Amino acid sequence: MKNNLILYIGILILGIAAPFIFPAFKVQLSILCVLIVLATTWNIQGGEMGYNSFGNILFYGLGMYLCASVQVGMFFPLAEWTESGGEKTFVHTPAQFFQGMAVGLIVAAVVPTIVAGLIGYSILGLRGHYFAICTLGLGVAAGEISGGIEIIGAGQGFTTPPFPDVGSLDSRGEFFYFLSFFVLVLTFVTVRSIYTTRFKLILNAIRDNEDKAEAMGIETMKYKIIGWMISAFFCGLAGGIMGGLVGYIDSTDVAFDGREMGVFMVLMAILGGKGTLWGPIIGATVFHIFKEGFWTFFLGWQYVALGVLIVVIVIYFPEGIMGWLREKYPERFGEVVDEKDRKAQVELK
Amino acid sequence: MRLNKIILSFVSALVILFSTSVASFAKVVGDKIILGAAISLTGKYSSNGVHTQNGYNMAVDRINSMGGVKVGGKTYKFDIIYYDDESNPKRAAQLAERLISQDGVEFMLGPYSSGLTKAIAPVTEKYGVPMVEANGASRSLFTKGYKYLFAVLAPANLYLDVAIDLAVEKNNGKGVTVAMAFEQDAFSQDVRLGVLDAIKRTGSKKVIDDKLPKELNDMAATLVKVKQMKPDVLVVSGHTKGALTAIRQISEMKVDVPMLAMTHCDAAKLSKQHGKNSQYALCASQWHKTLTYKDDFFKDGMTYDADFTKEFGYAPPYQAAESSAALLVFKDAFERANSFDQKKVRDALAATNMQTFYGNIKFAPGGQNVDKPMVLFQVMCDDAGKCENKVVAPTKWASAKLIHPIPSWSKR
Repeated sequence: MKNNLILYIGILILGIAAPFIFPAFKVQLSILCVLIVLATTWNIQGGEMGYNSFGNILFYGLGMYLCASVQVGMFFPLAEWTESGGEKTFVHTPAQFFQGMAVGLIVAAVVPTIVAGLIGYSILGLRGHYFAICTLGLGVAAGEISGGIEIIGAGQGFTTPPFPDVGSLDSRGEFFYFLSFFVLVLTFVTVRSIYTTRFKLILNAIRDNEDKAEAMGIETMKYKIIGWMISAFFCGLAGGIMGGLVGYIDSTDVAFDGREMGVFMVLMAILGGKGTLWGPIIGATVFHIFKEGFWTFFLGWQYVALGVLIVVIVIYFPEGIMGWLREKYPERFGEVVDEKDRKAQVELK
Repeated sequence: MRLNKIILSFVSALVILFSTSVASFAKVVGDKIILGAAISLTGKYSSNGVHTQNGYNMAVDRINSMGGVKVGGKTYKFDIIYYDDESNPKRAAQLAERLISQDGVEFMLGPYSSGLTKAIAPVTEKYGVPMVEANGASRSLFTKGYKYLFAVLAPANLYLDVAIDLAVEKNNGKGVTVAMAFEQDAFSQDVRLGVLDAIKRTGSKKVIDDKLPKELNDMAATLVKVKQMKPDVLVVSGHTKGALTAIRQISEMKVDVPMLAMTHCDAAKLSKQHGKNSQYALCASQWHKTLTYKDDFFKDGMTYDADFTKEFGYAPPYQAAESSAALLVFKDAFERANSFDQKKVRDALAATNMQTFYGNIKFAPGGQNVDKPMVLFQVMCDDAGKCENKVVAPTKWASAKLIHPIPSWSKR
């Protein structure tokens, strides 16, 4: 426990110092935080509950549009802002920008949570592949629908309010980094504390044998919905931040980006080891670093390199990095190993 | 033990990665002015991304070989750092940030497409990095009050409204019925708004208003409607894929329509790929080789066309020409500013008033080029099946007469 505390404080300090140690990488670091949030919350379904969801991108995109819409709509007519031929120029004052962002993020977290509850109620009865395919459709449908809604820019896209002129040139990067780092810490603390309760055990029971869990008197549906709502809350927040960070929302390429973000969050959780607390965090970090490296050094071949990485992960680390470590060093994970027994098993093989 | 080794090598790989990517290029090194550009080398805009890149490279080579840029009595050469934005706005914004804050680039060239330019502009604006862009035509780019954005091209709403005017003129001044099919992206939707304005202005009527998906390879549903409604004009816009899909399916389904107006015909190499099937298509273009503009570097359109074809093996679409023009604008601005101060270069850019082989360039306060009209050309084929794009409007540049209405498929 004491060791853990030192570890957490160390990471916290590193997190706060990071933008000053790597000042040129603030945007990448912010994106890393968002990726970790997405992977960690995906892990609640995919890892702990055994429901492979491709639909979390829905909440992410929803949060993005909502945050930007609120931020603009609080002070200016939204339709005129997004209208392409609009002749007027609207500029947020610093106070308006930050107030809008704050209210926007709250809305971006709350509304997707409610949506997750409603959708979850209707589709969480599906299991296995049926659930995965159904959620895949959610993201695609949301992208197409939002691409037709004029008030949020439709196919034109939505330019989010530019960062106001405060402080130095670096303040935008610092603001978004600390915002995303804060959300990351919030996510981690929440998820970690959930994982110490009975709730996690119920999720695991659902994963291992849902029928048996039900037979034991657990209202599985209720817990599945709550689990999804927790994910949606943080995905929405992450989306809201990402919208401001990118500065431009496109329905299918930025917001409901199932082809990239939607797949990446699954991949990161699997790479790190699903069903563990630290797995998605390690997975997201390794993935992001590799990805940025590929994009720099293998220009034109980045997707090929990424593909090779995925193949390597699947073949050599099917249980993810955490799973691999656990197999190598079981003692570290608090598992008692009977050396004699292990050797006997190895010989048997 | 092995684990330690693995961790060690992993950490050292990381260190190398960070240190090499931090190795700054900076804006002006020795005798080089380094420009940054995120270009779509992969993804749905990759063909136009390559046209853009070829246009940039062509101009860089030409300017460098003809004496470079003279600033403060010293001669500098252009160099460009490219990244691949994968036709994705999120990636483009990240790359702009990276070019500026990691690579130290102080001057940018634009990406391909309005959507990506929209994603990059807030970043360049924030850092006060002047960006001359050649491929972002959406009107909304010029109403955001950006101070560091300069576009050498005419805004998207002007692409096809001329076509509606032409159709009305051919209809003796009476309104026409218009069928529209536009891709759901920033550029095409802006072209749509321009067409809507023209419809309103001329008292015409829209009978179909379809949205096409982004990965555009089927528009049969729209064409079935066109067959039944028989509109006077069919307007289609969806970048290169939109043009190719439209021609392919119109010829397959034998859709008869008196006027077919499109964008991106030359980028899609329509007359080459579809030959006679693309005949009579009316296309909006920022540039055509027969226009009589001139400059010192590329001489004129015909010479540019010949040089470009020699170097890259295909005739330059307007996307390449306007990209080359962007470099000429930068060179001119650097020399007039006689400095590498970003504010001074920005002011020099804003005061640009020049002629290039591509057209006149003069920027409005919003950043769009107001001194260059659009042209419309029509694909015309001879009996041997050899097709060519001939300018039909505006009359000042016209080298052929508009063929209207398009003969029906049964008579072709």
